[in-house]
Amino acid sequence: MKKFFYKSSVLALTAGILLTSCDPEIDAPDPSSGEADFTSYLAVGNSLSAGFADGGLYRESQLSSLPAILADQFEEVGGGEFVQPLFSEAQANGSGYLKLVGFTPQGTPITETVTTNLAIRGLTSKNTPLYTKFTNNINNLAIPGIRVADIKTAGYGSTQGNPYFERLTDNPGLTYLQYVQAQAQAANHTFFSLWIAENDVLAYATSGGAFSGGMLNSDAQRITPVNTFTANYTELVDALTAGGKEGVLATVPDVTAVPFFTTVGGSVKQLLAANKIPAVVALTESGNSRIVITPSQINVEGGVYFPLTASAYAPLLGTPTGRYWRLLARQVSSSPDPVTVNATLTAILANYQIDTTQMFGLSQGNPLPSALVLDAAEQVNIKNATTAFNDIIKAQATAKGLALWDAYGYFNSIKNGFVRNSVTYSPSYITGNLFSLDGIHLTPRGSAIAANEIIKAINSKYNSTVPQVDETQYRAVLLP
Amino acid sequence: MKSKLLAFLGSALLSGTAVAGGYQVNLASQRQIGMGHTGTGIQTGTSSIFFNPGALSHIRENGVTIGASAISSHIAYRGTEPSGFSAEADNDFGTPFQVYAAYTVDELLTVGLGVYTPFGSGVRWGNEWNGRYALNEIDLQAIFFQPTVSYKIGDKLGLGLGFVVATGGVNLQRVLPVQGQDGTEGAIELDGGAKTGFGVNIGAFYQATEKFSIGIDYRSKIELEVEGGDVMFSNIPAAARGNFPEGAEFSASLPLPATLSLGIGYKVNEQLTLAADVSHVGWSEYESLRFNFSKPVAGSGVSESARNYDDAFIFRLGAEYQLNDKLALRGGAYYDQTPVQDGYLTPETPDADSRGLSAGIGYALSEKFSVDASFLYINKKKRTDSAEFSRSVAGTYKATAYIPGLALNYKF
Repeated sequence: MKKFFYKSSVLALTAGILLTSCDPEIDAPDPSSGEADFTSYLAVGNSLSAGFADGGLYRESQLSSLPAILADQFEEVGGGEFVQPLFSEAQANGSGYLKLVGFTPQGTPITETVTTNLAIRGLTSKNTPLYTKFTNNINNLAIPGIRVADIKTAGYGSTQGNPYFERLTDNPGLTYLQYVQAQAQAANHTFFSLWIAENDVLAYATSGGAFSGGMLNSDAQRITPVNTFTANYTELVDALTAGGKEGVLATVPDVTAVPFFTTVGGSVKQLLAANKIPAVVALTESGNSRIVITPSQINVEGGVYFPLTASAYAPLLGTPTGRYWRLLARQVSSSPDPVTVNATLTAILANYQIDTTQMFGLSQGNPLPSALVLDAAEQVNIKNATTAFNDIIKAQATAKGLALWDAYGYFNSIKNGFVRNSVTYSPSYITGNLFSLDGIHLTPRGSAIAANEIIKAINSKYNSTVPQVDETQYRAVLLP
Repeated sequence: MKSKLLAFLGSALLSGTAVAGGYQVNLASQRQIGMGHTGTGIQTGTSSIFFNPGALSHIRENGVTIGASAISSHIAYRGTEPSGFSAEADNDFGTPFQVYAAYTVDELLTVGLGVYTPFGSGVRWGNEWNGRYALNEIDLQAIFFQPTVSYKIGDKLGLGLGFVVATGGVNLQRVLPVQGQDGTEGAIELDGGAKTGFGVNIGAFYQATEKFSIGIDYRSKIELEVEGGDVMFSNIPAAARGNFPEGAEFSASLPLPATLSLGIGYKVNEQLTLAADVSHVGWSEYESLRFNFSKPVAGSGVSESARNYDDAFIFRLGAEYQLNDKLALRGGAYYDQTPVQDGYLTPETPDADSRGLSAGIGYALSEKFSVDASFLYINKKKRTDSAEFSRSVAGTYKATAYIPGLALNYKF
C-alpha cells in the first residue's frame, strides 16, 4: 500500500511538472484600483502636463503627454476616455516646435523651427499667434505657461491673455479656476493630477531675473509671492477635491538642474580657458549692478549657470557689440517704428549704463546682460521660492489625504544619471534622453519615466496596482 | 558520406539555450541524458571520452557513436510588477551534437576521439521588447575536439587524458538608443569567430568492487577569444554616424569554465545500475562581458558590463534498467544551481536554479547496432531580478525546455 502511494505520488508529481508548464508563463496579478477610482480622470497643470516639448505644443507631443500616458495606464484599472485638446492632423505641428537639423563641427546642436502645418488662426495686436480653437469638454486641462498666480486672473483666456487657454474657451472673461470648476463638473471626475507650480519660478529663472523689477519689469517674469501662491493653490486644490475626490499632487523640481541651464556653461568655460580670460563681467537681477564671474564658478551649484539662450552670444565675448540690446529694444518697444525703437534702445543703454563700444562681457562698460546669466543671488531666490511652494504643496497633500509625487526629490536623485533597460538617462541636453530640445520640457520617454514615478506614488497611497508603462515605447530626441 | 557528415556538423553548430547554468550545455550523450546526465562514476561506453576518460579503458569493444539533441526552449518575461508589458524569447531549435569513436589498442590502452558542444546559447527576443537595448538576439557556439588516451592500471583503475581543441563564435545583436526623424532606431551587430583554444579533460575511474565504482573528472577552463570580429551598424541617423563608425572591429573573451565532477555507480543487480554525480563549475571566472573596439563606439573604446558569476554545483541522479537483452529503460533527475547572482540577471542568460527530469531507452538493433533515445525536460525557477549591477533588464523571467535526442551506436 505504501509502495502504491509512493509510486502514484511520484507519477503525479512528474505528470504535474510536465503538464503545468507546456510553455512558460508568468501570471500577472490582476491590476486593481485599490481605494482610488479612476473612472473619470482630470489633469490640471502647465506645459509639463499639456505635452509641451521642443519649445512648442504639437499633436505628437500632446499624444504622448504625461497625463495621456497616465490615462492609458488607468484604463487597466477602470479608467475611461481621456479627451485632450489635440491639434488636428492637418494642423499637426500646432504652435511649431524645434527640430534638430545637425551639429556644428564643435558639436553644438543646430535646431530649426518647424513652420508648416501650424494651427495659427490669426495674430493678436502684439503680433503674437492665436491658435485654432478647441472648446469641447476635455480631460487634459493643462495650459502651457500658466502660473498658480494666474488662475484667478480675469481675461487670462482672452486674446490678451494666454493663447493656449484662449483656444479652449469662447468666454474671454473666464478665469482658469472657473474653467477648471466647469470642466470638473462636466467630467464629474473621480481622480485628478495637479502639477502646476513650475512657472511661478521658471520665467524668473530663464530670464536670469532680468525683468523682475526696475525699468523692464514684467510681472509674468517675477517669482510669485508666497501669499498669493498659498491662497490660489489652496483654492485650486479645494475645487478639485470638492466632494472628496482623490488625486495626486506634484512638487516643483529644481528648475536650475535642467539642461536649459547646464549645457552652455561648459563651452563658455572652454572658451575662457582657450583665450586665457580670467573672468567675465555680468549684470545681476533687474538693476545695473555688476558682478564678476570666474571660470571656477561656472556650472557649480551656488555659482553661475548660462541658459541655452546665451549660446548665441558666447562667440561674441570680447567684441564691441550691442546686439542683445538692439534685439531687446525691438522686443519691448511700444512700436516697430525705427525712431521709437532707437529711442527705447538709448533709454535702455542709459538705464543699465552700457557702452557697446567696449568689449562685450569683459568690461564694466559692456557686461553680459542679466538675462544671459543665472547667478548665485538669483539662484537663492529660486531655491527659497521653490522650497516655500513645495512646503505648501506637501501640506495640501497631507491635509486633503492625496497622493504626492515629490518631483523635486526625484529630479535631484537622478542628477548623476541612471540606467533603465540598458539605456543611460541623465539631465544632459540631447544625450540624456530625458529632456526635449528646449532643455526644459521632457521628451515622451522622459514623460513615461515621470509617469511611472507618479504611478508609484498613487499605488503607494491608494493601495492600487496601476501597471507601470514600458517607457521604451516612447521616443527620446530624434536625430537628423 | 563524408560530405553529408560535414553538412550535418555545419548545421549543428547552433547550440541551445536554457539548457544548463550559464551558457553551459550539458547534453553530451543520449544514453547519459536519459540517466540524468550522470556518468563520471560509471563506464558509459564511448561517451566516457567526455564524462571520464579514465573509464574509457574499461570498454570491451571498439565503437562509434553519433547523436544529437533538438532543443525547444522558451523564455517568458514580464516587467517588474505591477507592469503591463511582457515578452517571450523565441528560440531556435538548437541542435547540440556529439560524435565519439573509441579503439581498444590492447588490453590496457584505449584511444578515442570526441567531438561535442559543451557550451552555447541561442536566444531571440526580437527588436520590439523593452530590453532590446540590452539584447535582440545572441548566438554563442563552441565546439570541442578531444583526442583521448586511456590506460588501465591493474583490473580496477583506469586513467585517461583528453587534449581539447576548442573553437566557436559569437553573434550578438542589440538595438541602439538613437532614433532618426521617422523614429527608426539604430542597431549594432557583433559577429566574430573564436581563435582556437586549448584545454584538457582528465579522469580517473576505479571499479572498487563488482558492484561499486567511483570516478573523478576535470575539464579545464578554456578562454573563447574573438579578435577582429565585425562590428556592423544599421539605421544610424546621419548626425550620429561619427559615434558609430563604419569598419570598426571588436575583440572579446569569454571563459568556458572548468568543471570538476565526482561520480559513483552502483550495480544493484544484473539489471539495475544506479549513478550519482556532483559537479562543481568554476563560473567565478566570468567577471564581466567586455568588448574592446578598434574605433570608439558611442564615444568609448570599451563596452563592459559586470557579470560576477558565482561557482555553481550540479547534483545528478540516474538509473538504467536492462529489461532484456535488447531493451534498456532509463530515468534521471538533476538540480543545477545558477551561477548568476541577484542583481546580475541579463536577457542573454536569464538564468535560475533549474530542475531537470529525464527518461530514455536503449535498444539493440543487432549485435553491432544500437540506438539510444532520450527526453529531457528542464524547468528553471521563476526569477525576479532588479538587474541593477548588470545594468540590464529588470523583471521576472521563467524558462522551460523540452529536449528530445537520438543517438546511433556501432560496435566493432
